[in-house]
Amino acid sequence: MENKKGFVDIFSERVWKFFSSVKLAVVLLIILAIVSVIGTVIAQNEAPEKYLQEYSQAFVNLFEVLGFFDMYHTWWFVLLLFLLTANLTVCTLDRLPPTLKIITAPLKPIEDESLKALPFKREIIIKAGRGKAEELSVKTLTRHRYRFITTGGPDETQLVTQKGVYSRLGYIITHVSILLVFIGALLGAFFGFKAFLNLPEGRASKVVYLRNEPMWDKIMDTLGVAKSPVIPAADGGLPAMPIGYYVVCDSFDVDYYINAAGIPTGMPSEYHSTLSVYDLQERKILDKRIRVNDPLSYHGITFYQSSFGAIPEGKGKIKLNVRRKNSPAAQTEPVVLDPGQAVYVPSIDRTFKALSFNPYGIRNPATGQVQFFQTENNEFINPTVELEVSRGKGSKPLYKTFIMKTEAGEPSFPEDYTIEFVEYWGARYTGLQVTKDPGVWVVYTGFIMLCVGPVIAFFGSHKKLWVRIQDRKGQTVVTVAGSANRNRIGFEREFNKIADELAK
Amino acid sequence: MDSSLLFNIATLLYLAAMVLYISYLAFKKNGIGQVASIVTYAGFAIQTFALLTRWRESYQMDIGRIPLSNLYESLVFFTWSTVLLYIIIEFKYKTRAFGAFVLPVAFLALAFINVAGISNDITPLVPALKSNWLFYHVLISFFGYAAFGVAFAVSMIYLLLDTDERGPVVNIVAGIVALLVLASVGYVMAGNGLKTAFWLGLGVLVLAWFIFLIVSGAKHKAQIYLFWSFCVTLAIGMLVALGIDFLYLKAFQHIEAGESLKKHLFEATFVNPSTPVVFISWAAVVGLLFLIWFQGMRLKTFLKQYVPPLNQLDEVTYRMIAVGFPLLTGGIITGAVWANSAWGTYWGWDPKETWSLITWFVYAIYLHARYVRGWKGSQMAVISAVGFLAVIFTYLGVNLVLSGLHSYGGMN
Repeated sequence: MENKKGFVDIFSERVWKFFSSVKLAVVLLIILAIVSVIGTVIAQNEAPEKYLQEYSQAFVNLFEVLGFFDMYHTWWFVLLLFLLTANLTVCTLDRLPPTLKIITAPLKPIEDESLKALPFKREIIIKAGRGKAEELSVKTLTRHRYRFITTGGPDETQLVTQKGVYSRLGYIITHVSILLVFIGALLGAFFGFKAFLNLPEGRASKVVYLRNEPMWDKIMDTLGVAKSPVIPAADGGLPAMPIGYYVVCDSFDVDYYINAAGIPTGMPSEYHSTLSVYDLQERKILDKRIRVNDPLSYHGITFYQSSFGAIPEGKGKIKLNVRRKNSPAAQTEPVVLDPGQAVYVPSIDRTFKALSFNPYGIRNPATGQVQFFQTENNEFINPTVELEVSRGKGSKPLYKTFIMKTEAGEPSFPEDYTIEFVEYWGARYTGLQVTKDPGVWVVYTGFIMLCVGPVIAFFGSHKKLWVRIQDRKGQTVVTVAGSANRNRIGFEREFNKIADELAK
Repeated sequence: MDSSLLFNIATLLYLAAMVLYISYLAFKKNGIGQVASIVTYAGFAIQTFALLTRWRESYQMDIGRIPLSNLYESLVFFTWSTVLLYIIIEFKYKTRAFGAFVLPVAFLALAFINVAGISNDITPLVPALKSNWLFYHVLISFFGYAAFGVAFAVSMIYLLLDTDERGPVVNIVAGIVALLVLASVGYVMAGNGLKTAFWLGLGVLVLAWFIFLIVSGAKHKAQIYLFWSFCVTLAIGMLVALGIDFLYLKAFQHIEAGESLKKHLFEATFVNPSTPVVFISWAAVVGLLFLIWFQGMRLKTFLKQYVPPLNQLDEVTYRMIAVGFPLLTGGIITGAVWANSAWGTYWGWDPKETWSLITWFVYAIYLHARYVRGWKGSQMAVISAVGFLAVIFTYLGVNLVLSGLHSYGGMN
């Protein structure tokens, strides 16, 4: 019967062959390298006006059509990535069976025919006889840490051995790791989201505002399978994503580097927010002080410190701590007051009136004079309160003083207590970057394998060694032969050493 | 002792080592070679000590950070890792022939930084850079860059030795004319708001040339020699221009501590406000290109006596790339992990990330060509050179030319 292949067979065979070629891989890598450059030359995701400043209308239109303004997310760029992945998968699968065959192949004694093909071989005549030659060979191989099997019959004995056979898996580990990174990225795109939340101090939110909606929800919603949890924005803003709990901003602040003279330089050293999580029944679950590089994660959603800003027309509250000198820290009395407001402080029987609040005050170390500076971007570089202190419930003012963040209650007060600046609370919001990425652990697994794979592939070497001991015309002839798939020069050195030791 | 004094001593030792290595090549006296090695080790030890001292100094200033985060420190670290790699190679391959090429690079880089003396203040870090991942990221990346740098130098020697003759003068003339035509086209196009189109077009042309060289370079040795001349001109030209920049900035410009040098790069030469200076600079580059092309064969005869055979050079290039590739991979990965801990995005197609990926692609092509196709020789040397051009662009070009997350200074 004629074995005719159907169209499907031929077609699938062709597709397989196409995708299993390394040439395709190299071509795809070259194309990807070239087109990637475009997105680095043209700034990505800028405002349309900015592009029109830089390019003529015709070019803007052309680039728009080609997707050059958000190039790495265009269908054709993603298609190229998919092609590379398909190519990588097929290439790996195609070479997997031969590789496994090499790995599982039993060690076999060598024949004269295959001996010819081996790159390293040497014949040694040993006068001491076959028994002695065998003993010497066993000793030498053991000394070089080869575990061997012994075969042979009446005319010859062979010691067959190999090392580093699993290094042949190096390229597979590498390829699989890249696939994992790709799969992880897809998982992130389908089931994760990127969002932000500007949360004023003292406020709570149970939604975040999406930049990227999870693709899965979108698809299911479109198909009518399941309704997307996303709440579309009514006024053309960004859609909101419920997170299933409340996140609260307890406070936000910026620390600044302080120079040798004790004056804050205006260069931020740390941004931090204290966030709390409450469940929907308003029970507190946890809180955490987040910083840049140290986010809060809860239920798969991570909140990163990203920016901050002023609440429009937001009025802050001045928070101070008052403590009698030489009294324990527990006897500190917190004082909260608005700028301009007067408040009675029972523990010291004084009334404080906040005359002014300034975001950046500097006290001249020599004269003690206080100067105020303007700040940009609502920065509180060294918040300073001018305080008027009166006896009892506000009779005649006793004195005026400046309370600064950097002085932390340090300077000597005329009376028997210290006043420490805590914060100016409620005038700003913390800008949080919010992400959910269920694929990140797949990606990280890929990363770890990607660190290991190439090292095994480049520096591991599958070395094979045969020692054949024959009696030929009354002489004992030892033939050493070997091969290595990597680092031939290194193996040659080892091979020569072994052969030299046998010839001694 | 403070770190800058130690850095100066290390620089002087590298200068001595450079002179010794070159005289070792010239006089072939083993004694000189041994002294050269000892001086190099001493310089390296002192530089290591200087790096540690600088680290300690930053703690004394209450800033406490790894000395790896501005251009000054990363250049110092780059020379340190290059010398370290060179020492390893000297041990492993038992040849001192490369010393005369590696030490000048280390010395020049350190000398430029020292002459500059501008931005070596220990400046505090912005919050986003305060991460342990930064340390691993920079450390691993720089070892990778150094390995690729050595691979590039060896490839250049390979390409020169592999050339039999420089070919007819018409080649270099055509090359220079092409440069001039491209420059004037670029000038005209930039004037008409077609700057991006020009750069994209130029990029396509250059890439097409690279691919042509890699695919059929074996048949066009004269073209490969031209490519070699361009690469060497680029390397020397950039180093010299940087040197002039530093001298010029030190003499005539006041630069505030901590201010980035990026804004002032090539201000003394190629982007000088005075047209004659720009013209002279470019003329000098063209002259240098011609000189290198014209005298290359002399250099070859000279070098031939000292360097190992071609197949060994090929092997060294491969070894260096095999070392550099996992390091580059590690650098990209640690960068991604860092970005994820700071912004929640491990990959954002930022220009620096993208260029490091492009570099990764080029070296991946190199490795596949070798492992799967069994390529060797001049084509591989060309790929290695192209890879290093991508490295230079990732390291300097992206910071200097393109904007990105890596060059930002604050939030928002």
